[in-house]
Amino acid sequence: MRDFDYAAPTTVAEAVQLLQSHNGAARPMAGGTDLIDQVRVGRLTPDLVVDIKKIPELTAIDFSTTGLRIGAAVPCYRLYHDAQITAAYSALTDSATIIGGIQIQSRASVGGNLCNSGPAADSTPSLIALGAIVVIAGPKGTREVSVDTFCTGPGKNILERGEFVVEIKLPARAAHSGSAYQRFIPRNEMDIAVVGVGVSVTLDAAGQNFVAAKIALGAVAAKPLVADAAAKALIGQAVSEATIQKAAEAARAIATPIDDMRGTIEFRKHVTGVLTARVIQQAVERARAT
Amino acid sequence: MAEERKFGWGPRKDNVLIGKSIQRIDGFEKVSGKAQYTADINTPGTLYAKLLTCTHAHAKLKKLDVEPAKKIPGVRAVYIFPAGDLKAEGAGEIFWDGTLIAAVAADRPEIAEDGVKAIIAEYEVLDHIVDEEDLKAAEAKGATKAVGKNAKGKVEDALKTAKHVHKGYYGVHTISHMCLEPHGTHCEWKADEVLDIHASTQNVSGLAGQFAGPLGIDAAKVLVTANFEGGGFGSKFAADEWGIAAAKMAKETGKPVKLMLDRATELKAAGTRPSGYIDVTLGADETGKIVAWDSHHWGSGGISGGSIPVGGIPYVFDFENRSRTATQLNCNVGPTRAWRAPPHPQLCILTHCAIDDLAMKMGKDSYDVFLTNLEQTAGTAAHLPETYKAEMEIAAKLIGWKEKWHPHGKDAGKGAVKRGLGMALHTWGGGAGGCACNVKIHADGSVESFVGSQDIGTGTRTVIAITLAETFGLPLTAIKVNLGSNQYPASAASGGSITVGGVSGAHRRAAQTALWKIFDLVAAKYKVDAGTLAAKEGSIVSGDKKVCTWKQASMLLGPMGLETKGEGPAEDGLTSSRVGGVQMADVSVDSETGIVRINKYVAVQDCGLIIDELTAKSQIYGAVIMGIAYALSEERVMDKKTGRYINADLQNYKLPRIGDIGEIVVNIYQPDSEYSRGVIGLGEPPVISPGAAISNAVANALGVRVPVVPLTPQRVLAALSKSKGGAA
Repeated sequence: MRDFDYAAPTTVAEAVQLLQSHNGAARPMAGGTDLIDQVRVGRLTPDLVVDIKKIPELTAIDFSTTGLRIGAAVPCYRLYHDAQITAAYSALTDSATIIGGIQIQSRASVGGNLCNSGPAADSTPSLIALGAIVVIAGPKGTREVSVDTFCTGPGKNILERGEFVVEIKLPARAAHSGSAYQRFIPRNEMDIAVVGVGVSVTLDAAGQNFVAAKIALGAVAAKPLVADAAAKALIGQAVSEATIQKAAEAARAIATPIDDMRGTIEFRKHVTGVLTARVIQQAVERARAT
Repeated sequence: MAEERKFGWGPRKDNVLIGKSIQRIDGFEKVSGKAQYTADINTPGTLYAKLLTCTHAHAKLKKLDVEPAKKIPGVRAVYIFPAGDLKAEGAGEIFWDGTLIAAVAADRPEIAEDGVKAIIAEYEVLDHIVDEEDLKAAEAKGATKAVGKNAKGKVEDALKTAKHVHKGYYGVHTISHMCLEPHGTHCEWKADEVLDIHASTQNVSGLAGQFAGPLGIDAAKVLVTANFEGGGFGSKFAADEWGIAAAKMAKETGKPVKLMLDRATELKAAGTRPSGYIDVTLGADETGKIVAWDSHHWGSGGISGGSIPVGGIPYVFDFENRSRTATQLNCNVGPTRAWRAPPHPQLCILTHCAIDDLAMKMGKDSYDVFLTNLEQTAGTAAHLPETYKAEMEIAAKLIGWKEKWHPHGKDAGKGAVKRGLGMALHTWGGGAGGCACNVKIHADGSVESFVGSQDIGTGTRTVIAITLAETFGLPLTAIKVNLGSNQYPASAASGGSITVGGVSGAHRRAAQTALWKIFDLVAAKYKVDAGTLAAKEGSIVSGDKKVCTWKQASMLLGPMGLETKGEGPAEDGLTSSRVGGVQMADVSVDSETGIVRINKYVAVQDCGLIIDELTAKSQIYGAVIMGIAYALSEERVMDKKTGRYINADLQNYKLPRIGDIGEIVVNIYQPDSEYSRGVIGLGEPPVISPGAAISNAVANALGVRVPVVPLTPQRVLAALSKSKGGAA
């Protein structure tokens, strides 16, 4: 294992400066659950690891009438231990409860999960479904982008040299809305997703029709997918098995998984459809319960 | 009095410790981290060794340059294994991914890893075959070998006249042992050319010679210690080439060397359980009695054999008209080693899934078909059919077979999730292994024993302590057990479930011999009849009368105390062999995703006289969990294109999580007739049935057989799709 230096800045500006000054050989670290493993196996060889947990705003959570702001280094357990967040942003807490085991959830952050940009990341489909905005700090200042366009390929994203994610912003939830995330894994727990589906729906006051919907898929392409056609199949339609099946079919149609030891293309496309229907159903039940 | 002095266990009702549930005497050390495993041994100056392996399935080594590794500061020695020694005659051809090429010993593990990376190895890649299931492809490549064929009766005629005939295909893929503590040793040369070895081994008494030969030293100069062992499952009997490498590098550097396999090499090189596949036709009369069996099975145990032999099929049963053929595939995969009850788990899957499908075809309850055929249990002790029957009744009650069973594929539930029940049965020997021990009673009454056996995580220390404490009427804490050293009397390797019988028999004999001597001394001193004496609650008693304390009795031994030898096995009734077990699974199968969940799993097992019920039950729980693993998710995945073992890590080699296990109910069948059989080993048998029992439960849930174990979601969906006319 290659030796590296460690720094723990206390301000965003200081962190940007450290990342920028190492010419691409510095890596930000939140929980470190992905980073340390990758350094150990030699996949990453940073000269400097910049621990961002000492920057106060990166570990802050702010839930208000205008939405939810999560510091990029907030560990998963703090999300699902928060009753307000669990009720309003269920898909995200569904994800946070199944990323690794309890020890991992005590360290790992949603921000880190996003920046690791694994196609099978459990929190990214939920962030997409919930309409998240990613706040990025860098040498040129701060910018905001939709999470939909953040990941660009396996382990790749739009961050430029010297940039790092400081915060994730989620819009306030509409009335009669519900969200859910489920993944398909061969075992019961602590496994990497073969397929992951995040869904957010808003129903009419009677709970009978879809008013709005957003669906995202994980692990079935080189990056998390925004399933627009699947969402469109729901919007304006009555909540019914037939409608949900149409959306599931549309989701299955855009999945482009690879054949690997986790499953064949055919198997993963099939499960994408099954899981999409089940997660829509769960989101509907949650919307009706609000 | 001499004629009454026969070795034997006491009346069951009188036992204070034997048969009770007693926690391990070394449990605290194990759970607290105090226990020192081989991987924990770090004597001052220890060097750490890492391995270079070949990752080609079949290749010719063209060049090996270790000089760059030697130049790295902190690298102390580089060892070249026989496969990497280009100077040796016929060397250089590599036959499987994971073959050891070189080892580097360095001051720190990271430096050793850098050394391994610096070695230059160049290969010419050759054609390979790693598909163990595709018999035709292997035949086309000339990679098969007939390993046996035999028949009895008139199979063809019987199949023609059988009322019901079923033709099926079944299989089970290869798995690795996946020992949590990898294979490895810590080797240190001491004064007078003595080699001091700590080894993660199941074979403490048998290792010295294996090291001595290759090192050119006397076996008497090799000390072997294994105080604790983190899992072996049949794969840790040998010194192994990496053990020899560690000893040689220690010699070369004059420093201790520790070489524990890395996880990938552990999975690739340190043992696998061979695969097995079968084409079978079987026929039954109208009652379900099987009248004919005709099968051909094949599989691979690696390039040099070790596949499932022809005997043993059909499993547990044998039929009047029976033909069987076996073929070995010589694949470019890592070698096989004994895996817990070899090769019974495979035999059980290949046989009992076929019997269950026959029941499905007949529209009969599988339970009834197994029951009908119990009279045809083969080559086993006569007690088994009736024991199986009793165990089936207990298991059926525990799982609710009568209430829950439905014909195959006829779950009345409407949703995607279907529920089903399945069963299988198994047998095993478990006779006592060779064991010699010394039991020492000191003049102050303290007791210790010495035996060159080992505790491979199975409770050997506890079993010995209970045996001695019960015999001497002392508390467990009064016994000190010394094992895990080849300086103690030799004992057989722990494999084949022979240890509990071996050590309990030998220690009982040694202890009874000592006790009779003490009784004679007490009788003389206190003027009582030695024949009336017993050791109870720390005293020597005659009937209801206390004669003296244990300590007073021990003082009669004089300042040197007393040392007695125990040996075994012997035909004196203390131990015997041959056990049976019945297991039943209650599963739910999601027919849309292919996920199988264990709702409840029942294991009923006989094993003669039980020394410690808690330890016995723990063995069964562990075995069932291991069985659920290979039934549902555990398998070696070979990449057909590259010939590589692609899931040789703890993330992708799918062992079950706690959430995958479900409820396990363990029931030890132990009427007095079992107690009177004496001690029989139990470590292996309960791991045999889960593959078949769970596969049968899935078949019952779906009405469709998923032919090959493990029953991954993809295989479940493929079988469902095929049954509906789709692609498999």
